[in-house]
Amino acid sequence: MRPVSAETEMVLVDKARSGDRLAFEELIRRSAEQLYAVVLRFVADDDEAREVTQDAFLRAWRSIGSFEGRSRFFTWLYRIAINEAKRRAEKHAMAGQPESLDAKGIPDAPDWSEAPQARFEQAELRDALEVAVRSLPLTYRAPIILCDIEGLSTSEAAAAMELSEPAFKSRLHRARLSVRASLDHYFLEQER
Amino acid sequence: MKYRPLRNFRFMREHRWSSDHLSDYIDHELEVVERERFEAHISVCPECHRLLATLRRTLESLRDLGGTTAPSVADGVLRRFREQG
Repeated sequence: MRPVSAETEMVLVDKARSGDRLAFEELIRRSAEQLYAVVLRFVADDDEAREVTQDAFLRAWRSIGSFEGRSRFFTWLYRIAINEAKRRAEKHAMAGQPESLDAKGIPDAPDWSEAPQARFEQAELRDALEVAVRSLPLTYRAPIILCDIEGLSTSEAAAAMELSEPAFKSRLHRARLSVRASLDHYFLEQER
Repeated sequence: MKYRPLRNFRFMREHRWSSDHLSDYIDHELEVVERERFEAHISVCPECHRLLATLRRTLESLRDLGGTTAPSVADGVLRRFREQG
């Protein structure tokens, strides 16, 4: 899902590049929620996701003059946000804090208290998936989030991660296998 | 049963190749010849067959995860942009 159509995005970006603050504010309105949803999967919690989202937009504004338009604006924004999330993860690691593996930031935990079995199983799978994705190191988590959750093409996601397409595909494949392996017990139960 | 080392070697070679190309197959990024090679192995290898099916289910479930909505996020970004941008 894309927050802005390519044409409108291009017009707004061009205006912002020439210093039009209102055009950049429009880009914020249209993209902030989407970027936040992505960032939330990289960081510890809601507060940190909001901070990273804000920092990413501020960095984007300050360097929008260097944005050459070779990728979509949102792809460029992803790259800035991922780098910011990485910086924070490294800081947490240096401070001895674990890299967001807790369930604190996992969104929309469903209430299945009175739900039928099928819904319970679906909710169980969803939670297991969130944990499996969060358990991946950031360099493997990003390909899964960008391609398989956000629906970016391989070339867009590779550009956002500043990787060659073959290197990106290799990481994506390994990340997918890892997430699948984490869910194997669930699949085995289903097969019984 | 007769031991056939060449047959085993070929099977294992195809097994490794197919495992490495599961994502390419799912993403429709294999050439026709490669696709046929992959499908030939999958049809005789229960392990790869199951791996393909469960990987597909994993990807379907990932696509359904979606994101968390937080309407006030833009307000926070706009506030900081106006203060510090």
